Amino acid sequence: MTTSSFSIEMKLTEIGTAVKGTNPREVIVAVAPAFGKEMNKTIMRINHASVLREILSGIEEQGAVPRVIRSLRTADLAFMAHGAAKMSGSGISIGLQSRGTAVIHQRDLDPLTNLELFPQSPLITLEMYRAIGRNAAMYALGESPNPVPVVNDEMARPKYQAAAALLYLKECQSLVPDQKPVELKAEFLIKD
Amino acid sequence: MKKILAGVDIGNSSTEVAIASVEGDHAEFLSQHLVKTTGIKGTIDNVKGIRRALQEAAKKAGIELKDIDLIRLNDAVPVIGDLAMDLISETIITESSMIGHNPDTPGGAGLGVGVTILINELFEVEEKDQDYIAVIPKSFDYEWVAQRLNQAESKGISITGAIVQKDDGVLIHNRLNKKIPIVDEVALIEKVPLLKLAAVEVALPGHVIRTLSNPYGLSTVFQLDPDQTIQIALVAKALVGNRSAVVIRTPQGEVVERKIEAGRIILIGTNNQQLEVSINDGAEAIMNTYEKLEMLDTLADVRGETGTNVGGMFNGLRHDLAELTGQLSNEITISDFLAVDAVIPTSISGAMAGELSMESGVALASMVKTDKVPVQRVASLLEKEIGIAVEVGGVEAEMAICGALTTPGTRKPIVILDMGGGSTDAAMMNKAGKITSSHLAGAGDMVTMLINSELALGDKELAEKIKKYPLGKVLSLFHMQLEDGTMLFSETPFPPYTFGKVVIREEQDLTPLSSKVSMEKIREIRRSAKRRVFVTNALRALKRVIPTGNLKHLSFVAMVGGSALDFEIPQMLTEELGKYGIVAGFANIRGTEGPRNAVATGLVLSSVRIGHEVLK
Repeated sequence: MTTSSFSIEMKLTEIGTAVKGTNPREVIVAVAPAFGKEMNKTIMRINHASVLREILSGIEEQGAVPRVIRSLRTADLAFMAHGAAKMSGSGISIGLQSRGTAVIHQRDLDPLTNLELFPQSPLITLEMYRAIGRNAAMYALGESPNPVPVVNDEMARPKYQAAAALLYLKECQSLVPDQKPVELKAEFLIKD
Repeated sequence: MKKILAGVDIGNSSTEVAIASVEGDHAEFLSQHLVKTTGIKGTIDNVKGIRRALQEAAKKAGIELKDIDLIRLNDAVPVIGDLAMDLISETIITESSMIGHNPDTPGGAGLGVGVTILINELFEVEEKDQDYIAVIPKSFDYEWVAQRLNQAESKGISITGAIVQKDDGVLIHNRLNKKIPIVDEVALIEKVPLLKLAAVEVALPGHVIRTLSNPYGLSTVFQLDPDQTIQIALVAKALVGNRSAVVIRTPQGEVVERKIEAGRIILIGTNNQQLEVSINDGAEAIMNTYEKLEMLDTLADVRGETGTNVGGMFNGLRHDLAELTGQLSNEITISDFLAVDAVIPTSISGAMAGELSMESGVALASMVKTDKVPVQRVASLLEKEIGIAVEVGGVEAEMAICGALTTPGTRKPIVILDMGGGSTDAAMMNKAGKITSSHLAGAGDMVTMLINSELALGDKELAEKIKKYPLGKVLSLFHMQLEDGTMLFSETPFPPYTFGKVVIREEQDLTPLSSKVSMEKIREIRRSAKRRVFVTNALRALKRVIPTGNLKHLSFVAMVGGSALDFEIPQMLTEELGKYGIVAGFANIRGTEGPRNAVATGLVLSSVRIGHEVLK
C-alpha cells in the first residue's frame, strides 16, 4: 500500500487540562481551537489528520517525545505557541492553526518572535510539516538544524488573503474565553 | 614652520593613512584611518579609497583636507599574487555496492545480513529459510511498512535489516515487534541491487560501526577468499567512522580510489636548471623540490605540464595576472609560489545517498614580478583631484621597518614579518641600516580559500569571517559555549536565529553557520589552514632575509600587517619561532597602533628623518 492509496483518520480525545511537562525531550504541538473539530482541512484542503501526523512523525523520528494540546482562549498563532513553549519540558513548541499556518517557538523568546515561522499557509506541503516537526525536535535535543526552507509566493497573498481571513474568523468562533489549554490524545487510523 | 604630512600605504586589501604635524625634526601624529583598498593595488582605482581614508583621517584630526601640505605615497612592491586549487584524488563506487552516508537518525542497532528484496514482494518469497533485507522506497508509508514487517515475521519470514528511502528509520523501528537495524535517507534507493546478499549495520548513538568498516569483518560476513578481501578492503576504509552502513555483494562491485593525474610542475632556474615534481606527491614534496632548486639556483619561472590539471592551473594564474598588469601572458614569470595540501569534501560518483569523501587536493599561491606598478600615475591623479602635493616615498620594506621601529623596546638590527592579505614579506635592517627583503606568495587570502573549500562553504565572505573571529555554540537564548569550553552568559537574549547554532562571534554580531559541522571541527580546520600558510611562509620568508640562512642566528622579529592583528596567528608564530630561540611578537606602532599603520607611519617619519623618536 503506497501513501497515495489510503486515507488517514484522526481521533483527538480531550484528557483534561494541560499541565507543565517535565520531560526534557518533549515537544508540544499546540493546535488551534477548531483544529480537527469544527474544521478539518487546511486552506489547501489538506486533511488535518495528515498534517498533524506528519508533524508528530517528524518529532518521533528524531527521538523527541511529542505532546498535543489544544489552545482554547486564543487562536493567535504566536500566543498559542508561546504559551505551549512555556509548558513544554524542553521549552520548544510548534503552533498550528486550522488553516495550516505554523511556527516553531521557544519559551525564552518574546511571544511575537520565533525560531522559525511559516506564514504562508497555502505554500506549506506535507513534507514541510514533517520537516517542521523534525526541526522542532532537533532544537529540543540541543542540535542545530538548518531552518526549513520557506517558500515565498507574492501571489499567495492576493489569492488567499480573503480565504485566510475567513478561516481565522471561523476558527475564532470556537474560542472559549479564559479557558486553559487542554491535553489531547491523538490517534491515527489508516484505511484503504 | 609647521607642516601637515600624510602618509598613505596602499596594500593588497587595505589602504592606511597616517596624518602628522611636523615641525623641524619633530613629528606629532594626529590621526590615522584604514579603508578597504579600492581596485587592484597600484592602479588608479585606488584613488577613490585614498580620498575617503584621507577625509576620514582629517576629520578625526579635526582639520580640513586642504590643510594637508604633503601626501607621501608608498612605492608599492611590484608583486601580485593569485590563488588556485585542484583535486588530485577521487572516489568512485561501482555497481552500487555500498551506502556509507550518515543519516541523522537510523533505526535500531546491530548487524543484519540477508538478500535484498522490495517490501511489497516480501510475501512472494520462495525460500523460507533465507534471511532478507527489506528495501523500502518512499511511496510506502512507515505505518504500513511496520505492519507488513511484523506480519512477515509472524509468518516465519526472517528479515534482518532494512534500507529506507525516506527519513523513517526510527518511526519504523518503534513499531516493530522484532527489532532490526534500519538505514534510512537513501536518496537513490532504486539503484540498490535486488536479490543480492547485503549487510546492514547500525551503531548505537555516539558509537561507530565495527564490522563493515573492518576488511576481515566484511570477509567474514560475505565469506570471501583472500583475493576478494583485498578487493573489498577499500569499502571498509570508506566506511570508517560512520554510524550506519550498507554493503551489497555484487560481482564487480567495489570502491575505487583513483588518483587524478594532475600533472607535473616544472621549476626553472635562472641558469637553466630544471627540476620537475608531480603534484600527486603532495605539497611537502613540491616545496622540498623548490628548496632544492633554491640551493642550486634562483627561481626564474614555474610552468605546469601542458595538457594536465596543473598546466591549466598555472595558465589560469598567468592569464589572471596578465589581465591585471596589462602584460602579455607569456611575459609573466612566476617569482614565487606556495603549495599547501588541502582536504576537500567531494561527492562520490556512483553514490546512492549523496555520500561525500574527503579527497586530497593542492592549493597554490603564486606571485609574479611585474614591470613597475604605475604608482606614479596614481600619485599624479590624486594630486590633480585633491590639489595637494603628492610624492612617491621610499621602498615599502624600508618604510615598514621605519614604522616598526616606533614600537617601544625595539632597535636596530631588526627583522619584520609583514603578513598581509596577498603576500608574506620579511625585511631585515642591520646595524648599519642596510635593508634586505623578500616577498612570498600566500597569506590571508589563501587561508580564506582553504577554509572556504575545506568546509565546502562556497561563500568567500563567510570564510573570511570564520578566519577572523572565534566561534561559539548558542546553547540557550542566554548562554553559549565558547571554543575553549568555557560558558558565556548574557544578560540580554541572543537573537532567535542563533538558537542552537554554531555562531561566529564578531565584535557586535553573531553570524550563525548553517553547516552541520561541529564547532570543534571548524576550529580545527581554521587553525590548520592558518598554520599551513603562515607558519610555513614565516619560516620561508625569514630564512631568505638572514644573511646566514639559519634561523637560529635571529633574535628579534616584529610582526606587522593585517594578519598580525589576527586573534591567533601571532601566538602560533611566537610559539613556532620560539623553537628557534627567536623572540617574536606583533609590533606596536608608535606605542598605540598595534601592528597596523607601519608603512604609513614610516612614510611620514622618513621624510623628517628622525628615526624612531616620536613626540606624542
